Amino acid sequence: MASLILTTGVLALAQLFTLSTTANVSSRYTTYTTVLAGQKMEELRALTWGFDLAGLPVSDTETDTASPDDATTGGTGLAPSPATSLQGNTAGYVDYVDQFGHKLGGGSAAPAGAVYVRRWSVEPLPTNPNNTLVLQVLVFRLRDRGAADQNDVARMPDEARLVTVKTRKAR
Amino acid sequence: MTRRARRSSAGFTILEMLIATAVMMVVVGGVFALLNPAQGVAQAQPEVADMQQRLRVGLDTLYRDLVMAGAGTYQGAASGSLLNVMAPVMPFRSGDEGSDVAAGIPFREDTISLVYVPSTPAQTTVRADMPRNAAELKVNAVPGCPPDKSDQLCGFKEGMRVLIFDGNGAFDPITITNVQDEALHLQYDGELSTAYKAGSTITQVATHTYYLKSDVATATYQLMHYDGYQTDTPVVDNVVGLTFEYFGDPQPPQLLPNKPLTDTRGPWTTYGSKPPALGVDNASDAWPAGENCAFQVVAGVQVPRLPALGAGSAEVKLDRSLFEDGGPMCPDAASSERFDADLLRIRRIRVTLRVQVGPASMRGSATALVNGRALFVRSGRATSAERFVPDQEIRMDVAPRNLNLGR
Repeated sequence: MASLILTTGVLALAQLFTLSTTANVSSRYTTYTTVLAGQKMEELRALTWGFDLAGLPVSDTETDTASPDDATTGGTGLAPSPATSLQGNTAGYVDYVDQFGHKLGGGSAAPAGAVYVRRWSVEPLPTNPNNTLVLQVLVFRLRDRGAADQNDVARMPDEARLVTVKTRKAR
Repeated sequence: MTRRARRSSAGFTILEMLIATAVMMVVVGGVFALLNPAQGVAQAQPEVADMQQRLRVGLDTLYRDLVMAGAGTYQGAASGSLLNVMAPVMPFRSGDEGSDVAAGIPFREDTISLVYVPSTPAQTTVRADMPRNAAELKVNAVPGCPPDKSDQLCGFKEGMRVLIFDGNGAFDPITITNVQDEALHLQYDGELSTAYKAGSTITQVATHTYYLKSDVATATYQLMHYDGYQTDTPVVDNVVGLTFEYFGDPQPPQLLPNKPLTDTRGPWTTYGSKPPALGVDNASDAWPAGENCAFQVVAGVQVPRLPALGAGSAEVKLDRSLFEDGGPMCPDAASSERFDADLLRIRRIRVTLRVQVGPASMRGSATALVNGRALFVRSGRATSAERFVPDQEIRMDVAPRNLNLGR
């Protein structure tokens, strides 16, 4: 009987350690996904979307923000994304990041070493499609999101989703 | 005595004792086997939480100031981004003490200095010409100043860091040491790099330098902050990696069409300070008539002095060699506040921050690699997996809003 009580108590205690470890791991994922979402948003915000000296609109639709070496060509820049770019890994609108926060590249399949997936969308604002874009970024740990992708669930635990608007500004 | 009574008082047989002892040993052994690693976990998890918290604090602190870099005055004729005055982002230590400019160091990968105008009423103009060796300055009580000047002259206070600049690229960060409200006088600490004419702008400014302190002898690794005046303070402990990378405009600054240089209100250029009009010399710098650090006169026309770094407007990575090539220097090479004109190109900053766990007993060997990257920068003496807490590293990009106004 004494052994039974001792074992039960210790097992209950051990579960607390598991809980604290799980909470720390979850907290780490939340921190990383939030920072990585912010990083992608800043990259998109920094792309050219303004007017040239003659007053004509200038749009960056070529910079490859998924590229680990920040290529200025071969990407999609601020070109409008397919409607489902947040629900699946769409080339040009997804990149993969390792556990140290370093970009590993894009494409529809995750490369070796990938820990996080970043998807983003670029949608012209319906009321001002030529000048205003709605940017969204979704970051999650590399895993199958299951039904969340089919049903376009905005955000699950440990994931980060940011939304902003970018408008052309005159000088 | 009955048979039953005899059995109950006979105690345990040696076999029963052996079995009971064996069962107890198995149970206790199991319990200890469970408790031993749990003890390591119990020690490690608070350190993991602490490390993550330090990572968050470090990133938040940097982000808060990085995103504001370049914010300029917003009252009066000289309102606009500081990018039209100076380089608001500098990859070196800038300030009154231990300045890298004075030491001739143009670039440090683990150091960044930022300048911006915070939300403040302390924005006005200089009332009278100031020689370079002036001990005090006289200011105008512009409409933006608070009406009651008996306490604070336009919001200026002792110890406040301020920036004085003119429209020709000259600027000086100084510190207010005395405020004489009724006389509209300010006294300051710091040496001016040039003389300023009446009408030059003076405003409160925030100056921040962040750098990595790595003292191997005392095992002190900290993210440090310097206020540009007298004080260095630690922000986060056990920071073992800090690097800044820069991305920017490949195109050189251009004069805005249909914007005469004689207009009193800017901006006159896509970025950077305006040159003097053709044939006019700015006596406070060493450049010829009609020129400054960003523009030169070729065949009677003002053209950019900086080269294009690529076609189009897509941001390019600004290699450190751009900042170490010795110029062109703004306002000029002799100024005590000089900076490389290529710093004006900066539009985005990438920060890589790495923190380690405090106790060395939870760090492993610096040779341990995962996907080719080290788990530890500084070796420790952890021997068991439960007490093994790898460094955490993360990257963030920041596009300061006031450096990207036209993008």
